[in-house]
Amino acid sequence: MASRPLNDDEVLSEMNKMVAFIKQEALEKAREIKVKADEEFAIEKAKLVKQEQQAIDAQYEKKRKGAEVAQKIAQSTLTNKSRLKLLQQREEHIQDLFSTARSSIDTLAKNEGQYVQFLEGVIVQGFLSLLEPDVTVYAREKDVKLVQQAVDSASKQFNEISGRTVKATVEGSLSNDIAGGVKLVSGTERITLDNTLDERLRLLEDRMLPEIRADLFGLNPNRKFYT
Amino acid sequence: MAGQQSQSIQTLLEAEKEAAKVVQQARQYRVQRLKDARSEAAKEIEEYKKQKEAEFKAFEASHAGTTQAAQVSVDKETDAKQKEIRAQYEASKDKVVKKLLDRVVLVKPELHRNLHKVEA
Repeated sequence: MASRPLNDDEVLSEMNKMVAFIKQEALEKAREIKVKADEEFAIEKAKLVKQEQQAIDAQYEKKRKGAEVAQKIAQSTLTNKSRLKLLQQREEHIQDLFSTARSSIDTLAKNEGQYVQFLEGVIVQGFLSLLEPDVTVYAREKDVKLVQQAVDSASKQFNEISGRTVKATVEGSLSNDIAGGVKLVSGTERITLDNTLDERLRLLEDRMLPEIRADLFGLNPNRKFYT
Repeated sequence: MAGQQSQSIQTLLEAEKEAAKVVQQARQYRVQRLKDARSEAAKEIEEYKKQKEAEFKAFEASHAGTTQAAQVSVDKETDAKQKEIRAQYEASKDKVVKKLLDRVVLVKPELHRNLHKVEA
Protein backbone atom coordinates (compact mmCIF):
# COMPACT_ATOMS: atom_id res chain seq x y z
CA MET A 1 0.00 0.00 0.00
CA ALA A 2 1.02 3.58 0.32
CA SER A 3 4.07 3.82 2.40
CA ARG A 4 4.26 7.53 1.84
CA PRO A 5 1.64 9.90 3.27
CA LEU A 6 -1.43 10.29 0.99
CA ASN A 7 -1.93 13.41 -1.01
CA ASP A 8 -5.17 15.39 -0.92
CA ASP A 9 -6.95 13.62 -3.72
CA GLU A 10 -6.26 10.24 -2.32
CA VAL A 11 -7.44 11.29 1.09
CA LEU A 12 -10.64 12.50 -0.42
CA SER A 13 -11.28 9.33 -2.33
CA GLU A 14 -10.51 7.22 0.72
CA MET A 15 -12.94 9.32 2.73
CA ASN A 16 -15.64 8.94 0.17
CA LYS A 17 -15.08 5.22 0.07
CA MET A 18 -15.42 4.96 3.80
CA VAL A 19 -18.53 7.08 3.88
CA ALA A 20 -20.06 5.04 1.14
CA PHE A 21 -19.21 1.87 3.01
CA ILE A 22 -20.86 3.10 6.17
CA LYS A 23 -23.93 4.12 4.23
CA GLN A 24 -24.08 0.79 2.45
CA GLU A 25 -23.85 -1.15 5.68
CA ALA A 26 -26.61 0.91 7.20
CA LEU A 27 -28.86 0.40 4.21
CA GLU A 28 -28.32 -3.33 4.25
CA LYS A 29 -29.04 -3.55 7.93
CA ALA A 30 -32.14 -1.45 7.51
CA ARG A 31 -33.33 -3.70 4.67
CA GLU A 32 -32.84 -6.81 6.80
CA ILE A 33 -34.83 -5.28 9.59
CA LYS A 34 -37.62 -4.28 7.24
CA VAL A 35 -37.83 -7.72 5.65
CA LYS A 36 -37.95 -9.40 9.03
CA ALA A 37 -40.58 -6.94 10.15
CA ASP A 38 -42.81 -7.77 7.19
CA GLU A 39 -42.47 -11.47 7.86
CA GLU A 40 -43.35 -11.04 11.50
CA PHE A 41 -46.27 -8.88 10.50
CA ALA A 42 -47.71 -11.58 8.29
CA ILE A 43 -47.18 -14.34 10.86
CA GLU A 44 -48.61 -12.34 13.70
CA LYS A 45 -51.65 -11.30 11.73
CA ALA A 46 -52.36 -14.81 10.52
CA LYS A 47 -52.03 -16.19 14.03
CA LEU A 48 -54.40 -13.64 15.53
CA VAL A 49 -56.95 -14.07 12.80
CA LYS A 50 -56.90 -17.84 12.97
CA GLN A 51 -57.24 -17.84 16.75
CA GLU A 52 -60.26 -15.58 16.70
CA GLN A 53 -61.81 -17.39 13.77
CA GLN A 54 -61.68 -20.65 15.65
CA ALA A 55 -63.31 -19.08 18.67
CA ILE A 56 -66.04 -17.56 16.53
CA ASP A 57 -66.65 -20.82 14.70
CA ALA A 58 -67.03 -22.71 17.96
CA GLN A 59 -69.47 -20.11 19.22
CA TYR A 60 -71.65 -20.29 16.15
CA GLU A 61 -71.52 -24.04 16.05
CA LYS A 62 -72.92 -24.10 19.57
CA LYS A 63 -75.66 -21.65 18.58
CA ARG A 64 -76.53 -23.73 15.57
CA LYS A 65 -76.72 -26.93 17.60
CA GLY A 66 -78.96 -25.19 20.10
CA ALA A 67 -81.27 -24.09 17.34
CA GLU A 68 -81.40 -27.60 15.88
CA VAL A 69 -82.23 -29.13 19.25
CA ALA A 70 -84.94 -26.56 19.78
CA GLN A 71 -86.41 -27.44 16.42
CA LYS A 72 -86.37 -31.15 17.23
CA ILE A 73 -88.10 -30.45 20.51
CA ALA A 74 -90.76 -28.41 18.75
CA GLN A 75 -91.36 -31.17 16.23
CA SER A 76 -91.63 -33.78 18.93
CA THR A 77 -94.07 -31.65 20.89
CA LEU A 78 -96.25 -31.32 17.80
CA THR A 79 -96.32 -35.06 17.25
CA ASN A 80 -97.12 -35.68 20.89
CA LYS A 81 -99.98 -33.20 20.92
CA SER A 82 -101.42 -34.79 17.83
CA ARG A 83 -101.31 -38.26 19.35
CA LEU A 84 -102.93 -37.07 22.54
CA LYS A 85 -105.72 -35.47 20.54
CA LEU A 86 -106.42 -38.73 18.77
CA LEU A 87 -106.37 -40.73 21.97
CA GLN A 88 -108.73 -38.31 23.58
CA GLN A 89 -111.13 -38.64 20.70
CA ARG A 90 -111.10 -42.41 21.02
CA GLU A 91 -111.77 -42.17 24.72
CA GLU A 92 -114.74 -39.90 24.07
CA HIS A 93 -116.14 -42.37 21.57
CA ILE A 94 -115.79 -45.24 24.00
CA GLN A 95 -117.50 -43.28 26.76
CA ASP A 96 -120.29 -42.45 24.38
CA LEU A 97 -120.64 -46.11 23.56
CA PHE A 98 -120.80 -47.06 27.23
CA SER A 99 -123.46 -44.51 28.00
CA THR A 100 -125.52 -45.82 25.08
CA ALA A 101 -125.13 -49.31 26.50
CA ARG A 102 -126.11 -48.17 29.96
CA SER A 103 -129.29 -46.61 28.76
CA SER A 104 -130.15 -49.75 26.77
CA ILE A 105 -129.84 -52.16 29.66
CA ASP A 106 -133.40 -51.56 30.73
CA THR A 107 -134.64 -53.39 27.66
CA LEU A 108 -132.93 -56.58 28.80
CA ALA A 109 -135.38 -57.08 31.60
CA LYS A 110 -138.42 -56.66 29.36
CA ASN A 111 -138.27 -60.05 27.66
CA GLU A 112 -139.59 -62.22 30.50
CA GLY A 113 -138.52 -65.61 29.25
CA GLN A 114 -135.00 -64.43 28.60
CA TYR A 115 -134.90 -62.51 31.86
CA VAL A 116 -135.91 -65.48 33.95
CA GLN A 117 -133.30 -67.60 32.25
CA PHE A 118 -130.74 -64.95 32.96
CA LEU A 119 -131.80 -64.73 36.60
CA GLU A 120 -131.55 -68.47 37.00
CA GLY A 121 -128.10 -68.60 35.50
CA VAL A 122 -126.89 -65.69 37.54
CA ILE A 123 -128.27 -67.06 40.76
CA VAL A 124 -126.69 -70.46 40.20
CA GLN A 125 -123.44 -68.73 39.45
CA GLY A 126 -123.83 -66.80 42.68
CA PHE A 127 -124.50 -69.93 44.68
CA LEU A 128 -121.47 -71.63 43.18
CA SER A 129 -119.27 -68.67 44.03
CA LEU A 130 -120.56 -68.26 47.58
CA LEU A 131 -120.71 -71.96 48.46
CA GLU A 132 -122.72 -71.02 51.53
CA PRO A 133 -125.55 -73.02 53.03
CA ASP A 134 -127.62 -69.90 53.70
CA VAL A 135 -128.14 -67.20 51.13
CA THR A 136 -130.38 -64.15 50.89
CA VAL A 137 -131.30 -63.08 47.37
CA TYR A 138 -132.19 -59.44 46.97
CA ALA A 139 -134.30 -58.49 43.97
CA ARG A 140 -136.26 -55.51 42.69
CA GLU A 141 -139.74 -55.23 44.10
CA LYS A 142 -141.32 -55.97 40.79
CA ASP A 143 -139.05 -58.97 40.17
CA VAL A 144 -139.86 -60.88 43.37
CA LYS A 145 -142.13 -63.43 41.76
CA LEU A 146 -139.78 -64.10 38.89
CA VAL A 147 -136.82 -64.29 41.19
CA GLN A 148 -138.61 -66.76 43.44
CA GLN A 149 -139.17 -68.96 40.40
CA ALA A 150 -135.59 -68.60 39.39
CA VAL A 151 -134.31 -69.35 42.89
CA ASP A 152 -136.24 -72.60 43.11
CA SER A 153 -134.86 -73.84 39.83
CA ALA A 154 -131.43 -72.50 40.60
CA SER A 155 -131.21 -74.32 43.92
CA LYS A 156 -131.94 -77.57 42.09
CA GLN A 157 -129.29 -76.85 39.50
CA PHE A 158 -126.82 -75.93 42.21
CA ASN A 159 -127.38 -79.24 43.90
CA GLU A 160 -126.90 -81.08 40.62
CA ILE A 161 -123.66 -79.33 39.84
CA SER A 162 -122.02 -79.26 43.25
CA GLY A 163 -123.84 -81.78 45.36
CA ARG A 164 -124.41 -79.17 48.02
CA THR A 165 -127.71 -77.75 49.19
CA VAL A 166 -128.57 -74.11 49.75
CA LYS A 167 -131.37 -72.44 51.65
CA ALA A 168 -132.25 -69.26 49.76
CA THR A 169 -134.56 -66.47 50.88
CA VAL A 170 -135.82 -63.82 48.49
CA GLU A 171 -136.11 -60.19 49.54
CA GLY A 172 -137.59 -57.53 47.30
CA SER A 173 -135.63 -54.64 48.73
CA LEU A 174 -133.68 -53.44 45.68
CA SER A 175 -134.99 -50.19 44.23
CA ASN A 176 -137.11 -50.40 41.09
CA ASP A 177 -134.95 -47.84 39.34
CA ILE A 178 -132.11 -50.19 38.58
CA ALA A 179 -132.17 -52.18 35.37
CA GLY A 180 -132.51 -55.61 36.90
CA GLY A 181 -130.59 -58.60 38.25
CA VAL A 182 -130.04 -59.74 41.84
CA LYS A 183 -127.68 -59.36 44.76
CA LEU A 184 -126.76 -62.36 46.82
CA VAL A 185 -125.62 -62.12 50.41
CA SER A 186 -124.34 -65.03 52.46
CA GLY A 187 -126.20 -66.11 55.55
CA THR A 188 -123.58 -64.63 57.83
CA GLU A 189 -123.94 -61.33 55.95
CA ARG A 190 -120.21 -61.29 55.35
CA ILE A 191 -120.12 -61.90 51.60
CA THR A 192 -122.00 -59.85 49.01
CA LEU A 193 -122.20 -60.78 45.37
CA ASP A 194 -123.56 -58.11 43.07
CA ASN A 195 -125.13 -59.66 39.99
CA THR A 196 -127.27 -56.72 38.95
CA LEU A 197 -127.32 -55.79 35.29
CA ASP A 198 -125.63 -52.45 36.00
CA GLU A 199 -122.79 -54.02 37.89
CA ARG A 200 -122.26 -56.66 35.24
CA LEU A 201 -122.17 -54.03 32.54
CA ARG A 202 -119.66 -52.03 34.53
CA LEU A 203 -117.40 -55.04 34.88
CA LEU A 204 -117.71 -55.78 31.20
CA GLU A 205 -116.86 -52.20 30.27
CA ASP A 206 -113.60 -52.61 32.04
CA ARG A 207 -112.73 -56.18 31.05
CA MET A 208 -113.69 -55.91 27.40
CA LEU A 209 -111.66 -52.81 26.60
CA PRO A 210 -109.02 -54.60 24.50
CA GLU A 211 -111.72 -56.37 22.52
CA ILE A 212 -113.70 -53.16 22.11
CA ARG A 213 -110.62 -51.37 20.89
CA ALA A 214 -109.97 -54.02 18.28
CA ASP A 215 -113.59 -54.02 17.15
CA LEU A 216 -113.94 -50.28 16.92
CA PHE A 217 -110.56 -49.12 15.74
CA GLY A 218 -108.73 -52.18 14.53
CA LEU A 219 -105.62 -53.74 16.01
CA ASN A 220 -102.65 -51.66 17.04
CA PRO A 221 -100.16 -51.69 14.16
CA ASN A 222 -97.26 -51.13 16.53
CA ARG A 223 -98.00 -54.07 18.75
CA LYS A 224 -95.97 -57.19 18.16
CA PHE A 225 -97.06 -59.70 20.76
CA TYR A 226 -100.41 -61.07 21.68
CA THR A 227 -100.50 -63.82 24.26
CA MET B 1 -2.57 18.71 8.64
CA ALA B 2 -4.42 18.39 11.96
CA GLY B 3 -7.25 20.47 10.53
CA GLN B 4 -7.63 18.05 7.70
CA GLN B 5 -7.70 15.15 10.09
CA SER B 6 -10.35 16.57 12.30
CA GLN B 7 -12.40 17.37 9.25
CA SER B 8 -12.17 13.79 8.08
CA ILE B 9 -13.16 12.55 11.48
CA GLN B 10 -16.06 14.94 11.43
CA THR B 11 -17.18 13.62 8.08
CA LEU B 12 -16.93 10.07 9.33
CA LEU B 13 -18.85 10.87 12.48
CA GLU B 14 -21.61 12.46 10.47
CA ALA B 15 -21.74 9.47 8.20
CA GLU B 16 -22.13 7.25 11.30
CA LYS B 17 -24.89 9.46 12.60
CA GLU B 18 -26.76 9.23 9.29
CA ALA B 19 -26.29 5.48 9.30
CA ALA B 20 -27.68 5.22 12.81
CA LYS B 21 -30.68 7.29 11.75
CA VAL B 22 -31.40 4.97 8.86
CA VAL B 23 -31.26 1.91 11.12
CA GLN B 24 -33.44 3.63 13.68
CA GLN B 25 -36.03 4.36 11.04
CA ALA B 26 -36.02 0.72 10.08
CA ARG B 27 -36.66 -0.27 13.69
CA GLN B 28 -39.53 2.14 13.98
CA TYR B 29 -40.94 0.67 10.81
CA ARG B 30 -40.83 -2.76 12.50
CA VAL B 31 -42.66 -1.51 15.56
CA GLN B 32 -45.26 0.10 13.36
CA ARG B 33 -45.71 -3.13 11.42
CA LEU B 34 -46.45 -5.05 14.58
CA LYS B 35 -49.10 -2.54 15.55
CA ASP B 36 -50.53 -2.76 12.08
CA ALA B 37 -50.68 -6.50 12.34
CA ARG B 38 -52.90 -6.26 15.38
CA SER B 39 -55.25 -3.68 13.94
CA GLU B 40 -55.53 -5.35 10.56
CA ALA B 41 -56.17 -8.70 12.19
CA ALA B 42 -58.91 -7.14 14.26
CA LYS B 43 -60.51 -5.77 11.11
CA GLU B 44 -60.43 -9.13 9.36
CA ILE B 45 -61.84 -10.84 12.42
CA GLU B 46 -64.68 -8.35 12.50
CA GLU B 47 -65.44 -9.07 8.86
CA TYR B 48 -65.45 -12.80 9.50
CA LYS B 49 -67.72 -12.43 12.48
CA LYS B 50 -70.21 -10.39 10.47
CA GLN B 51 -70.24 -13.01 7.78
CA LYS B 52 -70.86 -15.81 10.26
CA GLU B 53 -73.63 -13.85 11.90
CA ALA B 54 -75.34 -13.38 8.56
CA GLU B 55 -75.03 -17.11 7.84
CA PHE B 56 -76.56 -17.98 11.18
CA LYS B 57 -79.42 -15.55 10.73
CA ALA B 58 -80.20 -17.12 7.37
CA PHE B 59 -80.16 -20.58 8.93
CA GLU B 60 -82.51 -19.44 11.69
CA ALA B 61 -84.92 -17.88 9.21
CA SER B 62 -85.09 -21.07 7.18
CA HIS B 63 -85.69 -23.14 10.31
CA ALA B 64 -88.54 -20.91 11.43
CA GLY B 65 -90.08 -21.52 8.05
CA THR B 66 -89.91 -25.28 8.44
CA THR B 67 -91.50 -25.16 11.89
CA GLN B 68 -94.52 -23.43 10.42
CA ALA B 69 -94.74 -25.90 7.58
CA ALA B 70 -94.39 -28.81 10.01
CA GLN B 71 -97.21 -27.47 12.16
CA VAL B 72 -99.51 -27.21 9.19
CA SER B 73 -98.72 -30.67 7.91
CA VAL B 74 -99.12 -32.27 11.33
CA ASP B 75 -102.46 -30.56 11.79
CA LYS B 76 -103.65 -31.81 8.43
CA GLU B 77 -102.60 -35.36 9.28
CA THR B 78 -104.32 -35.15 12.63
CA ASP B 79 -107.55 -33.98 11.05
CA ALA B 80 -107.48 -36.79 8.54
CA LYS B 81 -106.87 -39.35 11.28
CA GLN B 82 -109.65 -37.88 13.39
CA LYS B 83 -112.07 -38.26 10.52
CA GLU B 84 -110.96 -41.84 10.08
CA ILE B 85 -111.49 -42.59 13.75
CA ARG B 86 -114.94 -41.11 13.70
CA ALA B 87 -115.88 -43.12 10.63
CA GLN B 88 -114.60 -46.34 12.18
CA TYR B 89 -116.54 -45.64 15.33
CA GLU B 90 -119.77 -44.89 13.52
CA ALA B 91 -119.44 -48.05 11.50
CA SER B 92 -118.89 -50.44 14.39
CA LYS B 93 -120.56 -48.90 17.40
CA ASP B 94 -123.91 -50.61 17.12
CA LYS B 95 -122.25 -53.95 16.76
CA VAL B 96 -120.18 -53.37 19.87
CA VAL B 97 -123.12 -52.15 21.92
CA LYS B 98 -124.98 -55.30 20.97
CA LYS B 99 -121.96 -57.39 21.94
CA LEU B 100 -121.83 -55.73 25.33
CA LEU B 101 -125.48 -56.22 26.01
CA ASP B 102 -125.35 -59.83 24.93
CA ARG B 103 -122.47 -60.52 27.27
CA VAL B 104 -124.24 -58.87 30.18
CA VAL B 105 -126.83 -61.61 30.20
CA LEU B 106 -124.45 -64.34 29.15
CA VAL B 107 -123.74 -66.52 32.13
CA LYS B 108 -122.11 -69.96 32.45
CA PRO B 109 -122.35 -71.26 35.99
CA GLU B 110 -119.48 -73.58 36.80
CA LEU B 111 -118.15 -75.14 39.95
CA HIS B 112 -114.68 -73.92 40.87
CA ARG B 113 -112.07 -76.13 39.28
CA ASN B 114 -110.47 -77.06 42.56
CA LEU B 115 -113.71 -78.48 43.97
CA HIS B 116 -115.44 -81.79 43.43
CA LYS B 117 -119.08 -82.60 43.49
CA VAL B 118 -120.11 -83.82 46.92
CA GLU B 119 -121.64 -87.23 46.46
CA ALA B 120 -124.65 -87.75 48.63
